Amino acid sequence: MNTSVQSTRPRTRATLTALVALLSSALLITSARPAQAAYAQIEGSGSTWSQGIVAQWISDVDANGMQIAYNGAGSSQGRKDFASNVTDFGITEIPYQGKDEYGAVDTAGGREFAYMPIVAGGTAFTYQIKVGGKPVKDLRLSGDTIAKIFTNKITNWNDPAITKDNNGRKLPSLTIVPVVRSDGSGTTAQFTAWLDKQFPSIWQPYFGKSGLTSYYPKKSGSKTIGAAGSDQVMNTIASSSGNGTIGYVEYSYPVNKKYPVVKLLNKSGYFVEPTQYNVAVALTKAKINNDPASQQYLTSILDGVYTSTDPRAYPLSSYSYMLLPTGAKDQRMTTAKRQTLTDFMFYSLCQGQSKAGPYGYSPLPLNLVQAGFDQLKKLSVADPAVDFKDRDVTQCNNPTFVAGDLTKNKLAEIAPQPQACDKVGAGPCGTETGTAPTTTDEAKNPKSSGSSAQAAPASGADPAAGEAAPVDPDTGAAAPVAQAVAGEGSVAVPTELASGRPGDAKVFGALAVVELIVIILAPGVGAVYFRRRARRRLGAS
Amino acid sequence: MSAIVRPRELASLVLAGLLVVLMVTTDGGSASAVGPASGGEGAFSKTRTITRVLAATPAPEETSPSPTDPTDDDPTAEPTDDPTDDTPQDVVDSRQFTLTVDHTLNLRGRERVKIDWSGAHPSGARAANPYGENGLNQEYPVVIMQCRGIDDPSLPEAQRLKPETCWTSTRQQRSQSTDAVLGVWRHDLKATKADRELKSGLTDLPKECVDTKSDATHTTPFVAANGKVYAACSADTMPPEAAVGAALPPAEVSAYSDADGKGSVNFEVRSSAENESLGCSDKVPCSIVAVPIMGISCYDDNYDCRREGRFEAGSSNFANEGVVPAVSPLYWWSASNWDNRVSVPLTFGLPPDACAVLDKRPPTAFYGSELMNQASLQWAPAYCLNQQRFKFQHNRMGDDPAFVLVENGQAPAAFVSGAREAESTTERIGYAPTAVTGFAVGFTIDEPGNAGERQQLNLNARLIAKLLTQSYTGSSRGQQHPGMEANPMSLNVDPEFNALNPGLDRIQREAAATVLSLSESSDVISSLTSYLNADPEAKQFIKGARDPWGMVVNPSYKGLKLPVSEFPLRDTFVPTSGLECYQQNPAPYFSQLAAPVNSITKIASALLDAWPNVQTKCDRASASDPFKVGRIDRQGVGTRFMLGIVSLGDADRYGLRTASLQTASSVGPSSPFIDGSGRTFVAPTTSSISAAVKLAKDKGSRSAFQMTQDMLRKQPAAYPGTMIVYTTAKIRGLDKEDAAKVSAFIKIATSEGQVPGSGNGKLPGGFLPIVKTGATAKLWASAQRVATLVAAQKEAAAKPEATKGAPKPAPAAPAAAPVDAPQDDAPAAAAGEGAATATDDIVATSAQSSGAAGALFPVLIALALLAGLGGPATRVVHLWRNR
Repeated sequence: MNTSVQSTRPRTRATLTALVALLSSALLITSARPAQAAYAQIEGSGSTWSQGIVAQWISDVDANGMQIAYNGAGSSQGRKDFASNVTDFGITEIPYQGKDEYGAVDTAGGREFAYMPIVAGGTAFTYQIKVGGKPVKDLRLSGDTIAKIFTNKITNWNDPAITKDNNGRKLPSLTIVPVVRSDGSGTTAQFTAWLDKQFPSIWQPYFGKSGLTSYYPKKSGSKTIGAAGSDQVMNTIASSSGNGTIGYVEYSYPVNKKYPVVKLLNKSGYFVEPTQYNVAVALTKAKINNDPASQQYLTSILDGVYTSTDPRAYPLSSYSYMLLPTGAKDQRMTTAKRQTLTDFMFYSLCQGQSKAGPYGYSPLPLNLVQAGFDQLKKLSVADPAVDFKDRDVTQCNNPTFVAGDLTKNKLAEIAPQPQACDKVGAGPCGTETGTAPTTTDEAKNPKSSGSSAQAAPASGADPAAGEAAPVDPDTGAAAPVAQAVAGEGSVAVPTELASGRPGDAKVFGALAVVELIVIILAPGVGAVYFRRRARRRLGAS
Repeated sequence: MSAIVRPRELASLVLAGLLVVLMVTTDGGSASAVGPASGGEGAFSKTRTITRVLAATPAPEETSPSPTDPTDDDPTAEPTDDPTDDTPQDVVDSRQFTLTVDHTLNLRGRERVKIDWSGAHPSGARAANPYGENGLNQEYPVVIMQCRGIDDPSLPEAQRLKPETCWTSTRQQRSQSTDAVLGVWRHDLKATKADRELKSGLTDLPKECVDTKSDATHTTPFVAANGKVYAACSADTMPPEAAVGAALPPAEVSAYSDADGKGSVNFEVRSSAENESLGCSDKVPCSIVAVPIMGISCYDDNYDCRREGRFEAGSSNFANEGVVPAVSPLYWWSASNWDNRVSVPLTFGLPPDACAVLDKRPPTAFYGSELMNQASLQWAPAYCLNQQRFKFQHNRMGDDPAFVLVENGQAPAAFVSGAREAESTTERIGYAPTAVTGFAVGFTIDEPGNAGERQQLNLNARLIAKLLTQSYTGSSRGQQHPGMEANPMSLNVDPEFNALNPGLDRIQREAAATVLSLSESSDVISSLTSYLNADPEAKQFIKGARDPWGMVVNPSYKGLKLPVSEFPLRDTFVPTSGLECYQQNPAPYFSQLAAPVNSITKIASALLDAWPNVQTKCDRASASDPFKVGRIDRQGVGTRFMLGIVSLGDADRYGLRTASLQTASSVGPSSPFIDGSGRTFVAPTTSSISAAVKLAKDKGSRSAFQMTQDMLRKQPAAYPGTMIVYTTAKIRGLDKEDAAKVSAFIKIATSEGQVPGSGNGKLPGGFLPIVKTGATAKLWASAQRVATLVAAQKEAAAKPEATKGAPKPAPAAPAAAPVDAPQDDAPAAAAGEGAATATDDIVATSAQSSGAAGALFPVLIALALLAGLGGPATRVVHLWRNR
């Protein structure tokens, strides 16, 4: 409508018509204003694993008039706060455990609740290893090696097991410093659950018992460092004293910090990174509790994820959960608070999932979103005054859903196959990690800026091209521009001379224009000049 | 045009206009326009006499006489209420209490109002945390609460405030049960007969509440806005918003008055959005009630009722010891305390319209700078609520990764605040100035002796450099660091800081050895470190020069090259310790002190809570468990000392105090000083930010304005933390639809988005409006140009090949070179190194560029051309004349 005003010729009648049109459209706007739901501030605490995306969702729904306070205090604290009615919701990676490692109670303490998955992601191993002053950015490790590193069995980066994982490329002698969470953490729980299931002979003697723990057991006298919260784990690794460190955090932390992550060996013999694609592929094997009557409904058993034989699967993939207060007589809940929680999660499970990838997470598949909605609905069952109308998955603006098929995960379908150089006994690829590719092209061809003598025999070629997914999800997306390495170079990523500078283009562009003008005009001007002179001479004579 | 309007058309126009007006007015009146909230709208002030009256029975020996105070002798002091009892009474204490509130109208939820008072009884036994139940163990505080209703006897009962409509976060603050003889409220001179009974207030208690028969019990129920009565006799019978340890902390406070009876507090008001049960809104009026505790007035000779406080005026109570109940905030509801109250009526603004959660339009996300946070929060609803516009979202992300997304075509636009070289020279990216804001060093510091909060702080670049380079040792553990033995442990014991900020305490704290900063790359850090780099004192300190008192930079940071966009954690020192915990958890100590975080909003909330992020607290679950190291505790009110790097938008939104930064000095870098003379300190204000922006130089649509710290230093009135945030987007090759959105955004953001105010689409505090005239005129003009370029998407593509192939006119250039020496340190003769040839030599080189040389080059070419053409031309002219 606005444009019609601008393009109108200065004729009165047309102007008036346009004005009337404009006014009537304004009229439409004012009358189309939706009835605003009454919201009240809600608060929660818990996981730092998923805090990166939760914080963004919280700022997004501010525009909808929802105010949400979230404190990333760790999953254990989140479960504790929820149980003691301090918060309206909690976020945790693992369900209530009954008892924590100190024998203290870890239950909801009689508060009625339901688990609801909110986002998926990969627990990544980020590290700092410098060779000749430059950071290594393409480390590959097997689960076995990781288990031995975090149980202090492998203590030096030149260990033969690490050399073998990297297809013979040997790192210099450097003490390994594992960095673990010191607070009660869902990330630790995810990691130790995997260790317990996959490497019991390494983990259990170290832990002294079987099972997972939220509090990483640190042996006195070991090099292991504890840090509180994912932020501080990242700081410890990225600091100057971090050379030789390796720690576990959600993929989003190294992505935001531009730090490399370990490519972890999966069951089919490929070393993979926890991109949104590889996480989505792995989680198709998660065994979700599908009994709505169970208190554990929607919690997942990840054994199948750990052992997925898909060449793309990242083994340490998992979900983060919200604890929803579903009780009709919940002491802290009111209609307005339930409405806020309902709409906050409606946004997050629907549209909010679409930004999971760029932030280093992986969106939930549609079936889990659907199941999550069923859980969410319990809030409106507890309180019929809560408006749940039209809040369903068909309203989601989510490009990762496969329309018409609930069980499918589009990302898992289009996830590119790993490169041949990522296979055991091949490579290493020599490409940079920790960049959270948002397109399949990028995921397939991680950023690399050339080849060096040692690394990347396979770079340039694309051995996996044949098996790659046929669909390009990002329709019309241009091929990714090769990214130069920011800051310091890295060992595996050689640098090259800048072949041109933007300033130059400007200068030479200007020059070319000037020259062009001269070339075009000079003959003409000269011709005119000489003709006139000739004419004048004629006239004079 | 309007000269030829025909009547018929005019009539239809008027009709349409009327229709619109009709629709708007019948819309329920939830217009979003709310004027700027601050600026003293509805400032409040009231003075009244407050008293304590004791029945004139032979007074039992007082434990300590009331501290003498000039106001004690005030001849105007008279009891305001006639006692209901026949016993003669003594007014033992009478004061003129004045309460002022800076603004009371059109409040928003969580907005802070500043309350000041004088003439109160001096307080004692200061609690480390005066909020909620934590403030109960104090003597003679001023209890400040938010209550529903207005204090006007002429109003109907339901609209009047009373203790039952006053919000408290816990049961302990409103309902008490105690041994019968200790129930001092039962001796209250002004209490009704019913209130002198053993059980008073709500007496019909629900079964959840266990009440010992022989105890004296007073229950003050809470009446919610919807009429529901919460018995408030146990944690379970409190309203849903009440919780201990919640993320939204209590607002009600037992505030401390200094030895002169003065005090102040920033009180956070809650709207129905935050506290539904209290229910304050544009329709439900509320008040702030201040109850200055004078001590309960007593009608008999009950010893406990008549007692004075046992703590001295001005004292602290960090051990949280018991206090004298009769002078504590515990019984604020008791009639004689309640009678001394001052009530401040408030009005709440209309809640802003919000986007509908069911809006199906996909959002268009702009990525980037957290500096825009508060602005984008206010702007977003102005987009989604208008069907003509797109649905705007701001995805917070570092400036660098956001810019890369724009280059790669994965995001339509990014907010950044500095020029960056496009990684691909073929991309054409426009920079539209969108906001003028910046960073500040926020602080939460208490004056010693419980004298309130520090309002103003002066920092020079060297002090910030000392903090960032971890040159304060923090504790005796840090003092083991080689080469730093003589350094002060923390900022507040540094003689340089003391010279610039006299009068603060000298208690060594780890939290005062650091400034909480960002762990990730950000233009804020680039700007901050450029400021340090431009300052001779700071620069020389980092280079290794001792400060005039002998302090030296942490050797790990010596010679650190600034500016940087990400401040590194370089110290690797692990101290030895006799403590088992530290022996079990050896870690680089200075990184634990600094502990930067990944979002600038986290810093603001840490400052707001005075909760440093220092990670040195030792803890273990039980004696048999291993020690763990984590974040230290919140600081206690009265001894807080914490600094953090914040955005101006967040500082304004949360009412954080910000330091004045040094802009000029006539004092030599190595001369010691005892005060701030010869130095200019500038706070972030409209005028100081305007002064900075005035210096910014337009470098064309494809670059950020030039506003370096070297330029800012030439204008001492300019605030060094000033930053311009740009909307960057492709001006060639951007999807047509996205281009239209980005262009519209730039135009809207630089018009209605620059109108100050707290309503939807308006510009929040902490931002300087970009307008057509004045200091920001060139920013405005540039934004309009870029908006047009973005919409057009017709920028000529750069063709590196074509230019490479162009004949080099270089030989002519040097001859005509003017003496205008470029200021950049890059070589001026850029002509030669133009197109680097491909080489297999693997040597890391970065593209060296010189803006001045780049600009100079075409000039040289032009001159050469002119000379080339000029020679023949003059010859021709000469010939022609000679003809």
